[in-house]
Amino acid sequence: MIKETIEIINKLGLHARASAKLSHLANSFQSDIFLIYHEDRVNAKSLLGILTLAASVGNPITIEADGKDEKEAVQKIAEMFKNKFDEES
Amino acid sequence: MIKAFIITHGNFGKELVAVAENILESPIDIECISFDWQEDGNKSYAKIENHLKKYHDKDIIIFTDMFGGSPTNICFKFHSKNIEILTGINLPGLLKFLTYKDKKIGLKALVKEIKKGAIDGINIIGEYLGDKKA
Repeated sequence: MIKETIEIINKLGLHARASAKLSHLANSFQSDIFLIYHEDRVNAKSLLGILTLAASVGNPITIEADGKDEKEAVQKIAEMFKNKFDEES
Repeated sequence: MIKAFIITHGNFGKELVAVAENILESPIDIECISFDWQEDGNKSYAKIENHLKKYHDKDIIIFTDMFGGSPTNICFKFHSKNIEILTGINLPGLLKFLTYKDKKIGLKALVKEIKKGAIDGINIIGEYLGDKKA
């Protein structure tokens, strides 16, 4: 199991479209993937689960993956956050 | 494969689908049937029946806008072993359907999941912030 904590840097945080992109990406991996935000931990493959975090810019979020493609999963999801979900230049 | 319809007063269903398409960034295969406020009940029934007929060999979910409203009341008559009706559809409920429909969990279980998603999507922000601050 591996984890990576990053800061949310896109202005709108984990809003609906960003959450949809994230859950879609998470579903492409076999590993179990979770997001940890403050004291909440949700399944990253669930769009509605991600939305319950109401995660906003400037806060840390942890990506946790467990499974045979865990390394790639955490790496790709972290990249998505770092690329601001391709919604800002 | 499960076929879905949204049957509502006015254009509520079409707008809901348009918003979900925007969020998911992909087209959504749901047929929306709008009730004209002045439309005769028999005409509405026939209109829905014509749409459903095409999918007689499939499991069908009909989402309606409000329990007790005409679109829901007319749909009661279509309820069967392979047609379930979920009233009071909202955006979280629709997104739950769209992200769960391929899980092959069966019509009844799927409808229960959608209902849960729709209800969980209703929150009082004061209570939410209160919990977070506590």
